[in-house]
Amino acid sequence: MKDLINTLGLCSRILVLFFLPLLGFHSSFVQELNPLEGDPRAARVGGSIFRAQCATCHGADAMGIDSIDAPDLTQIFTTPGSSDQDVFQTIREGIPGSIMPPHAFPEAEIWMLVSYLRSVGVSGFTGQIQGDPDRGMFLFSENCETCHRMNGQGGSLGPNLSMIAAVRSEDAIINSIRDPSAIIGRQYKPVSVLTEGNVRFRGIIKSEDAFSIQVLGTNQVLRGFRKSTLRELVYEDQSVMTTFNESALNGRDLTDILSYLQSNL
Amino acid sequence: MMKQIKKRATLLLSLFFFFSANLSAQSGDGPTYEDILDGFNDPSRWLTYSGDYSGRRHSPLTQITPENADQLRSIWTFQSGTTTRGRGWETTPLLDDGVLYVTGSNNYAWAIDARTGRAFWEYRRNLPDDLTYGASAPVNRGFGMLGNQLFMVTLDAHLLSFDRRTGEVLWERELADYHVGYSATAAPLILDNKVIVGISGGEYQTRGFIDAFDPVSGERIWRFNTVPGPGEPGSESWPNDPQVLAQGGGGTWMNGSFDPDLNLIYWGVGNPNPDYYDETRPGDNLYTDSLVALDANTGELRWHYQFTPHDVNDWDSNHMPVLANIEWQDEQRRVVMVGNRNGFFYVLDRVTGEFLLGEPFTATTWAREIGEDGRPVVLNDGSLGCLPDPWGSTNFYPPTFVPGLDLFILTARETCATYVPEEPADTPGQSNFGGTVFIDSESGYGALRALDIHTGALEWEFRYPSPTFGGVMSTAAGLVFAGDHEGNFMAFDAESGENVWHYQTGSRIWGAAAITYMLDGLQYVMIPSGTTLTAFALRSP
Repeated sequence: MKDLINTLGLCSRILVLFFLPLLGFHSSFVQELNPLEGDPRAARVGGSIFRAQCATCHGADAMGIDSIDAPDLTQIFTTPGSSDQDVFQTIREGIPGSIMPPHAFPEAEIWMLVSYLRSVGVSGFTGQIQGDPDRGMFLFSENCETCHRMNGQGGSLGPNLSMIAAVRSEDAIINSIRDPSAIIGRQYKPVSVLTEGNVRFRGIIKSEDAFSIQVLGTNQVLRGFRKSTLRELVYEDQSVMTTFNESALNGRDLTDILSYLQSNL
Repeated sequence: MMKQIKKRATLLLSLFFFFSANLSAQSGDGPTYEDILDGFNDPSRWLTYSGDYSGRRHSPLTQITPENADQLRSIWTFQSGTTTRGRGWETTPLLDDGVLYVTGSNNYAWAIDARTGRAFWEYRRNLPDDLTYGASAPVNRGFGMLGNQLFMVTLDAHLLSFDRRTGEVLWERELADYHVGYSATAAPLILDNKVIVGISGGEYQTRGFIDAFDPVSGERIWRFNTVPGPGEPGSESWPNDPQVLAQGGGGTWMNGSFDPDLNLIYWGVGNPNPDYYDETRPGDNLYTDSLVALDANTGELRWHYQFTPHDVNDWDSNHMPVLANIEWQDEQRRVVMVGNRNGFFYVLDRVTGEFLLGEPFTATTWAREIGEDGRPVVLNDGSLGCLPDPWGSTNFYPPTFVPGLDLFILTARETCATYVPEEPADTPGQSNFGGTVFIDSESGYGALRALDIHTGALEWEFRYPSPTFGGVMSTAAGLVFAGDHEGNFMAFDAESGENVWHYQTGSRIWGAAAITYMLDGLQYVMIPSGTTLTAFALRSP
């Protein structure tokens, strides 16, 4: 392990030297494009720098740490309009008034970090889906639209899927449809409460503290509860999303839905 | 005629000086050392970080009780307009003569009318563009006060003295070079003609110290280096390499407590540098992660106790040492108590540093136990279970000691982390953690825990949904005030742990603990949260 670490450290220094001539080091001008884009070595060494300099706050997996507001950097390029240049500037200048400091790294190292973040960033579909997007749209409206939004239409219980083909792989989406309880995202943890008046309310936890819980119900209504007034508060492990097995949606159905999701990009 | 005018002028001048002097006597010349020594005896004041030198943060006030605390209401709020995203408003306000003196993030500061929340003045330090982040975040934990002077440390590692009436800077002194990574955030500790300050920067190529300054001249009286120089006592716990010693870390970024009878300052020391990578620093690495007892006159080390020898988990021991005189196994002992980031609660004899007790207050796989010799039986094997994360089982935010119940009450964090060291690049001005930490963010939670100081046993706890960074205060009415990460400011029955009141402040309570005081016959309780300072009482004034 130590040899590997030393090798990475050495690589970092050698690569910085290698890339030096390619970059305008004495200029405050920041180019729009990453000059190291596509170079796998840059992402690899950027990962080494990330683990040494960034992981304490952003997590070793770059997925962020909620308790200190350190964001999930694997999502950093999913915001429309976010660019390599933006990320470069944020690393270099920090975020004033926050825990995120400026970093006086050489430009090459910052570009390597950008390359690394690109490499761990969530990625979308890997290939062109050979399906029928029109039929997929029909199936989506029949099975998914009650809870999921597409282009401003649909429900709000589940994630907005308008850009999902850009940030999740085909397999990840199929797994979510076939077995939605296998991985439940932080913002979709299921809960069930029984109120003083014996009314059952099931939904996903939007927020919670020691005294209260804020829930988006499966009826897509926001409700807040004082815990002291509840007869029952059950943290469930089964997602509020319906499980779609082969008989509900077959393989062709899924392909068509994926095709529709991809056609939306 | 000329004579008469002169006479009248003299009379007028005499009257002016008489009234000026009278006014000055009315408004007071500010607290003396004796006033600070007097601690909580004057409940209309809060003159030092913990309210008195003991670090107990235990007020004798009894107007608010477990029975009536549910009637607490906010009386006023003050908005700072400045914040530290990812951290909090970590300050403890000082109070004298109806005026609160408050520091904020980004080196703002204010004098605020304690009756109304209106500001008398605001100060903001212009920080350099090339500021390093030795403090990890642009926060500050409070003023020190002596006479009409206030003292505040800065993010660019300076000590400032202010005129408390105007916010005007009287003098400033550089503590260390911020370009390297030095910074300062702790509230100064004011002693008899001394201003004691600490330094941040343990993640950078720094060497920690504790300084004493003359409050009038601003001259430095003494310095204690937390990492010894070559050949000095303690240097045998490091490799024989001046460069390693010169950047061995050991920040002192949380202020300490003081025993005037022993004339000893008790101050916690932070992590060795690099944090996780230890190939370059074999040995115990004294006095990192230790409590040091210093002679207040000279800064000389009287004794030390190292909580985490050879730390590889960034478990700074920058905690408020809590002093108490207690009966310990049928004997009166003067003790100092520390709830440590490494997950153990300690009781030490504060005269000699003798180890009396060390018991875990959170789950940990770092050490099996603390042996009778005071050294941990270290396992440090995360694969067997959970190691607390780098923010630790607790952190710098103040605990409290409730004397009648012999309870040490602190905010505990239950977390799981795996540490992977990696050789860092040595670059001045850049952080030097030396590795990576994998934190299981799904499993963590926080809790307010009351420990029996004689055994370390858990008497009660109140759980929070997430690992919490809020401090604690208690009162003689049997109340405990605490804040949590979800923004609740809460009151608990100290004996039972029952929650008797809570108020959602709207932002996490991070690093701060409450203060309380009497004003116009009303007991106030105050807490900073986010950008808001809120004063609570049982009724409107």
